[in-house]
Amino acid sequence: MNGAVWILASIGVPVVMGLVLLCVPSIRKRSAVVGITAAGLIMTAVSVFAAVGSGAGSVTLWYLAKGVPVYFQIDSVGQLFASMVTLVWLCGGAFAFSYMKHEENEKWYYGCYLLVYGIVNGLDFSGNIVTFYMFYELMTILSFPLVLHSRSREAIMAGLRYLFYSFCGAYLVLFGIYFLYRYGTTLTFTADGVLDPQLTAGRESFLLFVAFLMILGFGVKAGMFPLHGWLPVAHPVAPAPASAVLSGIIVKSGVLGMLRVVYYLFGTAFLRGSWVQYVWLSLALFTVFMGSMLAYRERVLKKRLAYSTVSQISYILFGLAVMNQTAFTGSMLHVVCHACIKSGLFLVAGAVIVQTGKTRVEELTGIGKEMPVLLWCYTICSLALIGIPPTGGFLSKWYLAMGALEGNALPVFGWLGPVVLLVSALLTAGYLLPVTIRGFFPGQGFDYGNLQKREPGVAMLLPILILTSVSVFAGMFPSALVRFLGGMLW
Amino acid sequence: MEPVMMFVVVLLPVFAGVLVFLLPFRKRVHRLVFLEGMVTLTSVLAIWLLLDHPGDKLAIVKFTGDLTLSFRIDGMSMVFGGMAAVLWPLATLYAFEYMEHEQREKSFFLFYTLTYGVTLGIAFAEDMMTMYFFYELLTLVTVPLVMHTLSREAILASRKYLYYSLGGAAFGFLGLIFIIVYGSPDFVMGGSLNLAKIGGRTNLLLLIYVLAFLGFGVKAAVCPFNSWLPAAGVAPTPVTALLHAVAVVKAGAFAIIRLTYYCFGVEFLRGTWAQGVVMSVALVTILYGSGRAVKETHLKRRLAYSTISNLSYILFGVTIMTPLGLAGALTHMLCHAVMKICSFFCAGAVICKTGRTFIYELDGIGRKMPVVMGIFTVASLALMGTPGLCGFVSKWHLAQAAVDSADPLAFAGVGVLLVSALLTAVYMLTVAVRAWFPPAGFCDKSLAGITDPGICMLLPVCLFVGAMVLLGVYSMPLTDFLQRVSQGIY
Repeated sequence: MNGAVWILASIGVPVVMGLVLLCVPSIRKRSAVVGITAAGLIMTAVSVFAAVGSGAGSVTLWYLAKGVPVYFQIDSVGQLFASMVTLVWLCGGAFAFSYMKHEENEKWYYGCYLLVYGIVNGLDFSGNIVTFYMFYELMTILSFPLVLHSRSREAIMAGLRYLFYSFCGAYLVLFGIYFLYRYGTTLTFTADGVLDPQLTAGRESFLLFVAFLMILGFGVKAGMFPLHGWLPVAHPVAPAPASAVLSGIIVKSGVLGMLRVVYYLFGTAFLRGSWVQYVWLSLALFTVFMGSMLAYRERVLKKRLAYSTVSQISYILFGLAVMNQTAFTGSMLHVVCHACIKSGLFLVAGAVIVQTGKTRVEELTGIGKEMPVLLWCYTICSLALIGIPPTGGFLSKWYLAMGALEGNALPVFGWLGPVVLLVSALLTAGYLLPVTIRGFFPGQGFDYGNLQKREPGVAMLLPILILTSVSVFAGMFPSALVRFLGGMLW
Repeated sequence: MEPVMMFVVVLLPVFAGVLVFLLPFRKRVHRLVFLEGMVTLTSVLAIWLLLDHPGDKLAIVKFTGDLTLSFRIDGMSMVFGGMAAVLWPLATLYAFEYMEHEQREKSFFLFYTLTYGVTLGIAFAEDMMTMYFFYELLTLVTVPLVMHTLSREAILASRKYLYYSLGGAAFGFLGLIFIIVYGSPDFVMGGSLNLAKIGGRTNLLLLIYVLAFLGFGVKAAVCPFNSWLPAAGVAPTPVTALLHAVAVVKAGAFAIIRLTYYCFGVEFLRGTWAQGVVMSVALVTILYGSGRAVKETHLKRRLAYSTISNLSYILFGVTIMTPLGLAGALTHMLCHAVMKICSFFCAGAVICKTGRTFIYELDGIGRKMPVVMGIFTVASLALMGTPGLCGFVSKWHLAQAAVDSADPLAFAGVGVLLVSALLTAVYMLTVAVRAWFPPAGFCDKSLAGITDPGICMLLPVCLFVGAMVLLGVYSMPLTDFLQRVSQGIY
């Protein structure tokens, strides 16, 4: 069947199923809710893979205004992001079936989970910036209930902060869209950019400013300094499977936005060597360092993981800002690896909470004796995030560093970038591995008598195992993936 | 249709109002059916008249010389008159259910219906003199509606309203005199000033324009003449919704459009200091209104401040002084009419059912009144300018006009629109979040017995929400029409 139909199915099916869950009051039994959710997830996953597999296809739905259609297309960026989303979303969903048993308002959770899934698919397949913006806004609004699921005062405040930071970013982006419409030939994503040289003549400096605002705006979702303040607050208060997709996927939509703006709208030729590139590089590097430092200081595991996200996403942004093929490949590899690793880590944190109720790092002494498989998964994911070979994290950082050094094109940042990445890797080891060490080697004076067998069931472990193995295998057998990523734009 | 029909359509609601007041109906429902029938008949005739409008003018009274009271329908009349004709029957329907528990219903409906006739008079006015006449009448017939409850607060509010409006109209009168002396009172697209007569008095006329702008701006609630509008919120909700969010305040904006585009003419004004002044006034008002709305905790007053801000969106479009700007202004006039009347009706339904008027009292109300609060949430998203709803479309056109004008102040205006959008998100969504996500441990006993209102209230809001979505996803026919209107076709 045509790719266009599959795109629409991948958006429409989860949205409809989600709305059914939210709006039909007679669906009460847990088995029915779980059944509908599972069916929705699987059907959507099939549509996504069919769309990705069909390789090409586009569809125009209707016009919002003159020259502004709601338009979807399948391109390599969309294929990559949509496949990654589906993998993580299925794992998060499968994990939630056992995790959410103990929480209230399960229906709200699953309904929103499905809705956001459809919206994120729409985001990945968007063919122009207005469609992208439409789904971006919807994603913010619909993922908001996931953040404040527990309804505690802390969660509600965190949710509002998430909402308003996100809108702030979205409006910065919208400001740019207004001007792009005027000074570009089209709003459709086009490799090499859409700016019309005749119209832009004499207004370059203003358009650079506009480009910077758009980068800053998408930087909100990606947790880039200075608008990162919501992320470490909002991600940890959500239920663990929601934290996993928020940290693994939703933040990546900011990355996707920047990618689209820089590579497909303004074009790298316009931005390379300008002040925008240097400011962007500085912000990204600063965020890498800052995130790691903050994570190092944090004692609550989920919050520590959220700070780690702040840092790791800026690795990706750094790679995008370097603007060459090697660094771009590294960025995209890190997108995939970080999605699997960070979701895996959050699911582990969630499983620990369910099994033991412990949230702080110092309480986790000895959990390796109680839950060996879980802690092994945690350890492997951590090693991958630090960048120990042969995991995916090593490969992505290798490409990022190589890209920065390539051809001495970047003054200062050429060497500063790799140095910051390495320092941050060290910090990553410093904040992730203590859990492993405490967990497996509780030390003298630990009361071994109280140990119980607390390993979570297969339903919880399986998603974690899948994510862990993907993050390792991506590094061990990378040739096909790297070839695909390298050919995305060049 | 015959030109005389214009006079008939204006008089019909006047008769209807008087008859409702005088005739001894046996049952309440009889009176209501009669009134609704008359209002609907007027609307049908009015819309028919607008679609098939006579080109000639109809002189009713001839005062002296050029001064006549006369009607003629052009593109602007179609927009403003059409808006009133569509909204009035729905608002009347809503008022039936709302006024059930209020006193002195008969006099309420008398003035409510009289206002309809007067509003149509403003729409059909052929020259400045006629418009001024109906403009003053509008103040007089709406004062009793503000005063309706006869509480001390209401009397003070109506006095304030009266003084502000009459004072403003006096400045408008100043403009009228200068237009008659230096041009002709007739409305001509592009302006009626006689440049030969003006000679070296350009600055004087620009000053008069600014004064008349501010004078008519009193009704459009520009800064600093807007404190009457939140105060007038003591009136019953049908009045606040239809008159103080749509008919009266937009009559102010309509008068400013006539003044700018049809009397002084944009050729004369564009690029002068007067344009800078009036645009700055509009921009300051946008921020002031949104900022005050964020601080306000009374639901209806918050919406009133939001109206202040949104009216200046319209004025911002007007002061760009290009056909595109006018088209954007008209788009926002229609879209805002639908969005704001809908949010006021939802607020009114909550007040009517629960008696609660402050936002902090609305915790958990979404569970009890799902339809009303759902629609309120959609209206909030529309006001913020979420794509897919009509607010996005109107802001898109306003911003495009601003970008297109290449005026630095208008560029700043785009930024102001977006800052205001963020504030809108804050003041509208906090209400929705409270209603849908009460804090954990919230007990809904205090809300026992509260349900969605009856069909008379629900039908209008459901139609409005449909219109918001329809205009949001498919607005091209409307915006094309408005663009033709603003180029002076029709």
